[in-house]
Amino acid sequence: MSLPKFTYCEPKTLEEAALKLAEYDGRARIVAGGTDLLLGMRRGIAKPEVVISLARIAGANAIVASATELRIGAMATLAEVAQHPLVQQHFPALACAAAVTGTVQIRNMGTVVGNICNASPSADTATPLLIYDAKMIVVAPGGERTVALAEFFRGPGKTALTQGELVKEIVLKLPSGTTRSNYQKLSPRSKVDIAIVGVSALLAFSETGAIRRARIAIGSVAPVPKRALEAENMLEGCQLTPEVIAAVAAVAAKEAAPITDMRASEDYRRSMVAVLTRRALQQNQREQQ
Amino acid sequence: MSQNNSAMKVVGQSIPRIDAPIKATGKARYTGDMKLPGMLYGKMLFSSVPHASIVRIDVSKALALPGVKDVIVGKDTPGIKFGNWRLFPATQDELPLAIDKVRFIGDAVAAVAAISQDIADEAIGLIEVEYAPLPAVYTIEDSLAAGAPLIHDENKELTNNISLDRKIDVGDVDAAFATADYVREDTVFVHAVSHAYMEPCAVLVEPDTEGRLTIWTSTQTPYIVQCLLASTLAIPENHVRVVKPYIGGGFGGKMELRPWDFCASLLARRTGRPVRFVLTRVEEFEVGRRRHGMKIRSKVAFKKDGTLIAKDFEAYLDGGAYNSMGPTATFLCGNFGAMLYRYPNYRYRGHHVYTNKPPAGAMRGFGAPQALYLSETQMNIAAEELGIDPIELRLKNAMVTGDVIEGVTRISSAGFVESLHKVAEMTNWKEKRASLAPNKGIGIGCYSFISGGVFNWFNTQYNFASCEIRAYSDGTAHLLTMAADIGQGSDTVLRQIMAQDLGLDPEQIRLTAADVTMTPKADLGTWGSRVTLMNGNAVLDATQKMRAELAKMVSLRFNLNVIHEVAFADGRVFAKAQPAKGISFGEAVTMWVKANRGEELVVRGHYTPRDLGLTSPAYSFGAQVAEVEVDPETGVVTVEKVSTAHDCGTVINPLAVEGQLEGAIQMGLGYALCEQFVMRDGKTLNTTFLDYKVPAAEDMPAIASAAIETYEPQGPLGAKEAGEGLAIPTAPAVSDAVWHATGYRCKDLPITPEKILRATGKL
Ligand SMILES: Cc1cc2nc3c(=O)[nH]c(=O)nc-3n(C[C@H](O)[C@H](O)[C@H](O)COP(=O)(O)OP(=O)(O)OC[C@H]3O[C@@H](n4cnc5c(N)ncnc54)[C@H](O)[C@@H]3O)c2cc1C
Repeated sequence: MSLPKFTYCEPKTLEEAALKLAEYDGRARIVAGGTDLLLGMRRGIAKPEVVISLARIAGANAIVASATELRIGAMATLAEVAQHPLVQQHFPALACAAAVTGTVQIRNMGTVVGNICNASPSADTATPLLIYDAKMIVVAPGGERTVALAEFFRGPGKTALTQGELVKEIVLKLPSGTTRSNYQKLSPRSKVDIAIVGVSALLAFSETGAIRRARIAIGSVAPVPKRALEAENMLEGCQLTPEVIAAVAAVAAKEAAPITDMRASEDYRRSMVAVLTRRALQQNQREQQ
Repeated sequence: MSQNNSAMKVVGQSIPRIDAPIKATGKARYTGDMKLPGMLYGKMLFSSVPHASIVRIDVSKALALPGVKDVIVGKDTPGIKFGNWRLFPATQDELPLAIDKVRFIGDAVAAVAAISQDIADEAIGLIEVEYAPLPAVYTIEDSLAAGAPLIHDENKELTNNISLDRKIDVGDVDAAFATADYVREDTVFVHAVSHAYMEPCAVLVEPDTEGRLTIWTSTQTPYIVQCLLASTLAIPENHVRVVKPYIGGGFGGKMELRPWDFCASLLARRTGRPVRFVLTRVEEFEVGRRRHGMKIRSKVAFKKDGTLIAKDFEAYLDGGAYNSMGPTATFLCGNFGAMLYRYPNYRYRGHHVYTNKPPAGAMRGFGAPQALYLSETQMNIAAEELGIDPIELRLKNAMVTGDVIEGVTRISSAGFVESLHKVAEMTNWKEKRASLAPNKGIGIGCYSFISGGVFNWFNTQYNFASCEIRAYSDGTAHLLTMAADIGQGSDTVLRQIMAQDLGLDPEQIRLTAADVTMTPKADLGTWGSRVTLMNGNAVLDATQKMRAELAKMVSLRFNLNVIHEVAFADGRVFAKAQPAKGISFGEAVTMWVKANRGEELVVRGHYTPRDLGLTSPAYSFGAQVAEVEVDPETGVVTVEKVSTAHDCGTVINPLAVEGQLEGAIQMGLGYALCEQFVMRDGKTLNTTFLDYKVPAAEDMPAIASAAIETYEPQGPLGAKEAGEGLAIPTAPAVSDAVWHATGYRCKDLPITPEKILRATGKL
């Protein structure tokens, strides 16, 4: 199908963008890289009258660090995030996920914020951002608010954003002490495909080697990317043994609520949550040793 | 046929494709890029139901939409059926627009022409169709079950949904089975896949004031489109000029008249304006042709020492709602079942079955990927059970030059034995098959393929391939041919053959191709890997005549003794033994023109295979080894390396053959591992490349290849095909490697991780 007609605008500031969004009240959409939005418009799923690009907003693509935080701007592309030295150093699961999202062309156009705002259950960067306790900075004509990523996803394609709101940036707290984290993606049909299961796991170890803090997030296996909270709880305070890993992986699989679709069956997905969770924890352990 | 006996200078060279720069830079104009003044935009309405009578169609709202210029439905057409098997009119079962019945989701029901694409799209939504649903069947089993609805009840000769049967009987199969030491029987299900060509179908038609039509269409077979368009419109063939622009691949999916060709033509005649249709990818996946899904059973008999003595082969083809190219696939499937090995006794029964799904057509390999998936898989199973190495077992039974399948064909060259030896050596087969790391596997698959068909079911009165060559005083020449380069590279290869035989630089040759009223009649098109052999032979027929004319000039000019050969090289024509006695090609042409009182030097060449059995003039052969790693927990198969040794006769252009091989492996991997249609109640659900997954560049394995050069006496300068055959061995080779790694033998393609895990008890 051809792209339907729409008005295109390029505001110079976020405030202007938020005003436009509010003005068209549900009939406008933000576009970043457009790699999701344009597909949706071609298929008639999204029918905005106005498309508001963030491309001309100065600094919107910045990835900046302070002493305690890293901020990923709304226009920072998947490729820029994947290649950023601080992301690679402190948030390896995110760097990895961004590096395996789509194709080279998609990574050069598509953004991490777009990946999150699109709110697909399979979004590659979602589970890494969940394990890093990412916060979304949301702006509206009236001001700013902060939404924890875990509260951001509301269903397939649905977010906590309300009318007139857009995401300015993602904030990640720089880790203190040693943490290990990684992302495991399974897309069996092709290296260039949507994940049928994605698992991210983060472990912070104490000096005795016990687990101080654990985060496990699972993607593509529920209406939203989500944390496997029970599995996380089992890990805290534990020493990582093969038995613990197996038990945690099994619980993570129970926390999944997958469906059967064209890419994989429910059974297979659930069983792969266990495999990937185990692999993620084992990799954390190897890196710690 | 005499050939220019100067050394090979152009043939055998890796000359880049003529069309490579323009395609790589996006400058090539495809049908969808073309626009004419006053052009209207077309859109098809396809049936949304799998099987129904049409009760009522109301187009009034669509016609009333401002900007809509015309709407046509079945009753506006002459109602003439078409199909590529003109020799058997009863097989021609398809209407360009349905009249009283639809048989699959995608049957063409109506078409609109409007001043913009948006308006045309909108108008389609305003057409009201009332259907009276009929029971529908979607599987071979359901279609053949008692009480199944008759999909073509208008054909009174059919008593069930089998549209056509084919038999081959060689020797006495039952007697041979009675003497067998080892018998093996297997049934496999092979699935339908999409051609997934890069360019969706498109057509642009321009009418002239007298109702003649010029048609640019994305086709592999311009001549077939010309003939069938003329017959369905009930106008003279000569009123239809089909011009083939650049084509973004076809793989068999563009070798028939398609409804949009017809609708664009009829709308153009009715409105007097040019009309263009461009299909969307979703439409392609929903209504497009596909490779036949088949259920195939094979029973083979061996002697203890591994000698094959008989084969009993039966195939049911899931044809979809119309014959399309199914009759040819039914025929060829049986021929391919008899290839590769010597079966002194062979029986084939093939059945083409209608179902309420998009029709299957020709697709790269045309019956062979299915037949040989089973043959090769079964050979590997038999090798295991007989305790013989799979390559040894093949060598024992391999076809060689001179072999005859009684009453079917003769193999005039075969480099199969050499290919098997070579691929074993390239891959260190013996050692790896015996000792591989856990989860690694190595497997083999082989192929043989036709270099064009000798059959004439299209019933053309013309030669199978034809060309014209004009030569000029400036040392250049012009090749006019109906051969259709659809991306496979025939424009480049035919120039190479001609340049070689006339001693010219390929760049001195102007080419006009596939314009049916301008290029000599006829050419059956690009399919069955026929173009290099057939058009190559036609070119050589013409160059031979050209050389004879120009040799006379050199003979006269230098008063040559009749015992001298005349050679053509480096743009010169000369006495071979005394090269100084010679003139330039252009001078020779000038002399000829003067000698003929101003006539232009024009020759024509033709080729039609005659008395060469039932199948093909020549056969390619090859062996391929795949090396895989299977993740035992996820079932994911990583194909690490694919090695091929193959015989395509003389390699005319190594670079072009390499390209064919890489593309073939990509398609073979998709067939084996990840491509399939997901369907529910006759509806195709995966209609985008997101959901219908073809292997990407990143999925490609390391590739090694070796050409085993034979000289094919029926081929131009010894050449055979290298187009379709190479797409066949990958699926059986990967399947065997997966078995080697996991113990899972796939009899139900594709090989998915879930099937592997279920078979190995992990899921
Ligand atoms: C061929 C292909 C392959 C792909 N492969 C993958 C894959 O492997 N994994 C994967 O996860 N995804 C994949 N995608 C999906 C897509 O590329 C990613 O989700 C990408 O990150 C989207 O980013 P974008 O900047 O292009 O988003 P856009 O299309 O610009 O926007 C996406 C959505 O988010 C909204 N939005 C964007 N920015 C903001 C903002 N600042 N505030 C509020 N709303 C906003 C838009 O309105 C829209 O609804 C693929 C897409 C294609 C076409």
